[in-house]
Amino acid sequence: MFEMKLFPGGIHPLEGANGKAVNGLNPIRVLEAPPRVIIPLQQHIGAPAKAVVAPGDHVRIGQKIGEAGGFVSAAVHASVSGTVHAVQDAMLANGTMVPAVLIDNDYQEEWVDLHPSDHPETLSAAELQQIVRDAGIVGLGGATFPTAVKLAPSGGRKIEKLIINGAECEPYLTADHRLMLEKAADIIDGIRLMMQALEVDEAQIGVENNKQDAIDILSAEAKKVDGIRVVGLPVRYPQGGEKQLVFALTHRQVPNGGLPLDVGCVVCNVGTVYAIDRAIREGRPLVERITTVGGLVNNPGNFLVRIGTPIDHLIDACGGLQPRVRQFIYGGPMMGMAIARFDIPVTKGCSGLVAMSEKAMEPEESPCIKCGSCRFACPMKLFPSRIDAFTRHNRLEEAEKLGVMNCIECGCCTFVCPAKRSLTQSMRTAKNGIQRKRRRDAARKAQEEARAAQEEAAKKAQEAAEKEPEKTGKEAG
Amino acid sequence: MAEKKNTFWNAFLNGLLFENPTFVLMVGMCPTLAVTTAASNAIGMGLSTTVVLVCSNLFISLLRNMISDKIRIPAFIVVIASFVTMVEMALKAYLPDLSATLGLYIPLIVVNCIIFARAESFAFKNGPVLALGDGLGMGFGFTLAITILASIREIFGAGTIFGLSIMGEGYKPMSLLTAPAGGFLTLGILLILVNLGRKKVDAWSKARKEAEAV
Amino acid sequence: MQKNLTVTSSPHLRSSRSTKSIMQEVCLALAPAGIAGVVLFGWQALAIILTSVLSCVLSEYFFQRLNHKKILIGDWSAVVTGLLLAYNIPANAPLWIPLIGGIIAIVLVKQLFGGLGGNFMNPALTARAILFVSWSGIMSNYPATRFMTDATTSGTPLVQIAAGENIAIRDLLLGNCGGVLGETCKIAILLGGLYLLIRGIADWRIPVCFIGSAFVCYLIQDGFQVAVLEILSGGLLLGAFFMATDYVTCPMSGSGRVIMGVGCGILLFVIRSYATYIEGCSFAILFMNVMTPLIDRFTAGRLFGEVKTRG
Repeated sequence: MFEMKLFPGGIHPLEGANGKAVNGLNPIRVLEAPPRVIIPLQQHIGAPAKAVVAPGDHVRIGQKIGEAGGFVSAAVHASVSGTVHAVQDAMLANGTMVPAVLIDNDYQEEWVDLHPSDHPETLSAAELQQIVRDAGIVGLGGATFPTAVKLAPSGGRKIEKLIINGAECEPYLTADHRLMLEKAADIIDGIRLMMQALEVDEAQIGVENNKQDAIDILSAEAKKVDGIRVVGLPVRYPQGGEKQLVFALTHRQVPNGGLPLDVGCVVCNVGTVYAIDRAIREGRPLVERITTVGGLVNNPGNFLVRIGTPIDHLIDACGGLQPRVRQFIYGGPMMGMAIARFDIPVTKGCSGLVAMSEKAMEPEESPCIKCGSCRFACPMKLFPSRIDAFTRHNRLEEAEKLGVMNCIECGCCTFVCPAKRSLTQSMRTAKNGIQRKRRRDAARKAQEEARAAQEEAAKKAQEAAEKEPEKTGKEAG
Repeated sequence: MAEKKNTFWNAFLNGLLFENPTFVLMVGMCPTLAVTTAASNAIGMGLSTTVVLVCSNLFISLLRNMISDKIRIPAFIVVIASFVTMVEMALKAYLPDLSATLGLYIPLIVVNCIIFARAESFAFKNGPVLALGDGLGMGFGFTLAITILASIREIFGAGTIFGLSIMGEGYKPMSLLTAPAGGFLTLGILLILVNLGRKKVDAWSKARKEAEAV
Repeated sequence: MQKNLTVTSSPHLRSSRSTKSIMQEVCLALAPAGIAGVVLFGWQALAIILTSVLSCVLSEYFFQRLNHKKILIGDWSAVVTGLLLAYNIPANAPLWIPLIGGIIAIVLVKQLFGGLGGNFMNPALTARAILFVSWSGIMSNYPATRFMTDATTSGTPLVQIAAGENIAIRDLLLGNCGGVLGETCKIAILLGGLYLLIRGIADWRIPVCFIGSAFVCYLIQDGFQVAVLEILSGGLLLGAFFMATDYVTCPMSGSGRVIMGVGCGILLFVIRSYATYIEGCSFAILFMNVMTPLIDRFTAGRLFGEVKTRG
């Protein structure tokens, strides 16, 4: 059974220790709302939301301030009550500037009128999808893919299994762990409602074995509902990767370039399930999330944070940074982004903030010694060192042939590399380059097709004018 | 390079140095590696090749207007083979020892790339004086190159030069160098040095030209 | 902007294992065999080890210096090469042998092909092969150990096995037999080899398949007793644990490493049994080194998710 649950490759990021005890498992504290929130309109993958408020408007908590900008998009809601200060560009953790709504908090804590579902037990998939869409829920594990899109029954593909991701494999982060401990009943309730809406009889919750207490609590709750099973998983990063989790739980491999839906699975993070449960039972949109602040802060912990809270507010709540801090990471240390300014807001996908010492700095690269560690560590069974060599020589076709587009950027290869080469960075470079080329090629192809169609039409018109039946040389050759 | 005149001397120097068949053009590798175990063999081989090369270059240049393009390769072979046969017979008559050591490699001059390449790319396109210069230059260039190669291999691989022991009693010869693998190794190392030298010379002449221009 | 904060790309955690730490651990694993060599053959062995290591490190330093490259002698890889080279030289060889060997290994085999990670054959083994072909008299004249009473020089156990002489396994294990400096004491080699396997530095597949396949070949041809003696004789163990597992020159996939190990074992058997060289280990490994790119190409393996889309 143990072997069955293991995906290929993977690493143990904090050798020996499983990483969860790094900052202790602190109970969730409710963070006081900041005086001003910065709510970006693009907190998800897909089209940005469109602002539906103007400066000076009074908003209440939960009021929609951004309308979903397309099918793959998500709505954005006010997380405090108060006055819209401005709609202007703000920086995200990845360094991009996106439009954001700035709201001055009036500390009245006024909520919009909430509309809980009248009959949660009779929800259909379409209704569920609508609730999730209205609540602006995205994948809270960090991918921020709009959840409503996942739940959309598409192409007649049957969903067989609901898979709940409670693996939380990133070191330092304990937000999901804490949530599972404190809100187990709500999570199981959310899963039950989702199963019912999606017409699935089977749900599995995958939790890494280092969270035995969470497994116990969830199992106790899950007993009350048919079809929900809590599965302990070996502790190994990236156990929480979507494709790795599906493989570990069902032994099905998500095809390259495909989605878990292609093997009949829908994967949801526990935080997302909790948000969905709140949206159904209470009608609350996604205005707050649980975020871990860990590493070298004076008072680390898990916080229930309003979306849009600037990071410095959160750092103050933790008693400030320790002097040894040299890097501050938005997200987990394996996949998160290093940031150098603290006016960046906490967004929906922010599962943690980690302050790290100079150990996190990029060490000097040395030549590849061809040890193959990266190849053994890659959970997608890629060959990072070779892809890296091709990318550095700008030979992206070869990199593409080696499957670089399947890279999930988990960072395992860079982690294990004894020569300290930035393999993951190379993979990203290759992926971006290939995507750019694909777009260019598609544009050119469309242009050529248009021209060909034009010529064809012209030729046909000419032939019609000549009215001469012409034999084609089909038999020749 | 651009202002180079087409003279006998230029063709000669070109063959001897700038387009040395062994170190620059990298043609005729088979005899280069096979007969360079001893310096005397190399000189014998080099001079035999030079004689054939000069004669064939001269004749092909003279006959170049009579030979049709379509049959030029067979024509080259006939010319070259005739001279090779002559050289072979001469060696057998006057230098039987050398002939015995070189053995098959003398008849194999017929298919030596250097001679073919020069016939095809130079003698067939230029007048007899230039072809003569080219033949002499290429021939001596080849001789020089393989003699250097063979000297190194002989000195370090056997402790002798032209059969004379020079390294003293205590010297333990590195017999790998006289084995085929040693030929490749020595040639490779020599090529590194030659290329380094060429780079230096190029950089130097470029700097000089720039200085003159200023 | 916050001062003191740097921005780098993810991941922000790195394992503590580095090229340098790997090389240092290999040196540590090689230490028992070296100590055994000094104990068995006297101070001359230590002189050879030191000469070889110094020759390798200095060659690397001067080559990189002269070529205006970054000087990477701090990564300890030249030390490993030096140690391995010294272990492949008879303890009574003159000191210019390890000196020239070190220069050949580092300059000719390693640096000319691009330095660490660029060479396609194991530097120490190639140097040994070149020394062996060039000065076979010196390289195959094995001194007697200090614990042998009846002889001044001795053939390797391989010669004795071929001649049908009886050898005590205890002598083989303790290293009280003829051979090059570092290959005789099998217990020391096994100790170091096991350390590498336990620390996960050497891939277990190569030594296991190497020794296993050689053992099976001998078992079929000569029976159990000879098979055991052959495994414990000559450079097989040293080669299997320390040379064939060299990262740079072995395949990078699991299946490739199995092929590498089995290939080495069979070639060793063939060379020892049917070729003119009595010791086939280094040539077997060198041959498989050259095959490595080919093996890598044919063991590319399937990507995760390379499956047919369901219905």
